[in-house]
Amino acid sequence: MTVALAVPDVLVARAQAGDEAALEALYRAFETPVYNLARRMLRNAEDAEDVLQETFLEVVKSIRDYRGEGYLWGWIRRIAATKALMRIRRDQLRATEPLGEEHGKPGMHVGANLDLERAFEHLTDTSRAVVWLHDVEGYTHEEIGELMGKSVSFSKSQLARAHARLRGLLGEGEGARA
Amino acid sequence: MMHCTLDDLLALRAGEASVWARRHVEDCAICRAELDGVYQRVAQLKALPALRPPRDRWSIVWDAVRVEQTRRRRTWSVWSLAAAAALAGVLLVPRFGGSGTLHAELSRAKDQSATLEDQLQNYDVDGRVLSGRTAARVAELEDEIAVIDGDLARQAAVKAQAQDAELVKLWQQRVDLMRQLVNVRSTRARYVGL
Repeated sequence: MTVALAVPDVLVARAQAGDEAALEALYRAFETPVYNLARRMLRNAEDAEDVLQETFLEVVKSIRDYRGEGYLWGWIRRIAATKALMRIRRDQLRATEPLGEEHGKPGMHVGANLDLERAFEHLTDTSRAVVWLHDVEGYTHEEIGELMGKSVSFSKSQLARAHARLRGLLGEGEGARA
Repeated sequence: MMHCTLDDLLALRAGEASVWARRHVEDCAICRAELDGVYQRVAQLKALPALRPPRDRWSIVWDAVRVEQTRRRRTWSVWSLAAAAALAGVLLVPRFGGSGTLHAELSRAKDQSATLEDQLQNYDVDGRVLSGRTAARVAELEDEIAVIDGDLARQAAVKAQAQDAELVKLWQQRVDLMRQLVNVRSTRARYVGL
């Protein structure tokens, strides 16, 4: 999903002054891209809804700190991505699974010939987050490493492993190279 | 023949590949096809339809913001209230002197208020998700408490006109509202399993 949202400066200024209607207009403009980002990164729809809510709570509280550097969507997206990653980390701590442990969804085998959306769903939370942030949202490995509290090479290796798994789940490649 | 790894292909896509990988992919149809596959997967991911939130959450967000704003105001007014309480004590002790009934009632209301403030700290669930109705009720009660705190602060500021019975009444109203607030918070805390 490509987001090309231009928000008038006057709307941002009104939101920064605490105008409820302007803040709601920002919510309406960005609720779908924020939810979509969270939903693609997280397995659970309710978690994605909570991230949407937490993100806009943060946006309303911190909009005065937005100095207009870069696109507003970039600023909001970073808040949303951070919240989603915090949730992934929390769930992994609860499940005592270290960040980046690559198990995939049980019961799936390589070459299952899924469509891409379903195959993507079968990646681990961490892999999905890295693929979405890098390949779709355009984050660099440096930025992903920083967001996740991990190294650049961690992000690169997660991406490579995720693509290998996607290729396998989609039943592509490898055969021709054997 | 040695082929490009996925790391090589992703590096090619990012424009960071080694000289060997760049040359190899020009000559190797298999690796070129693999690279095309990477580009296609990424393009397909970008083309996935946007998932839309199933419910409107704006009212919950806005209620939570209002609760927080009220809490901030209340924190400020608690400082004024502390000053008012100290002043009220100074004003009332000598005037109640004989009967001491109002003074006793005032002390009791202030003690109850302090106890309820302490209890409330245990349910201070900043940032936790509240239902719209609960958040609105919390905001309403906190607003009413803030109004009473303002009245108490004003009573203290006009020492000469301070009405003893009025002070007691305000403190008792505050206790009543605090009690309702604690009830709302504790019910919510039980609900979320704290």
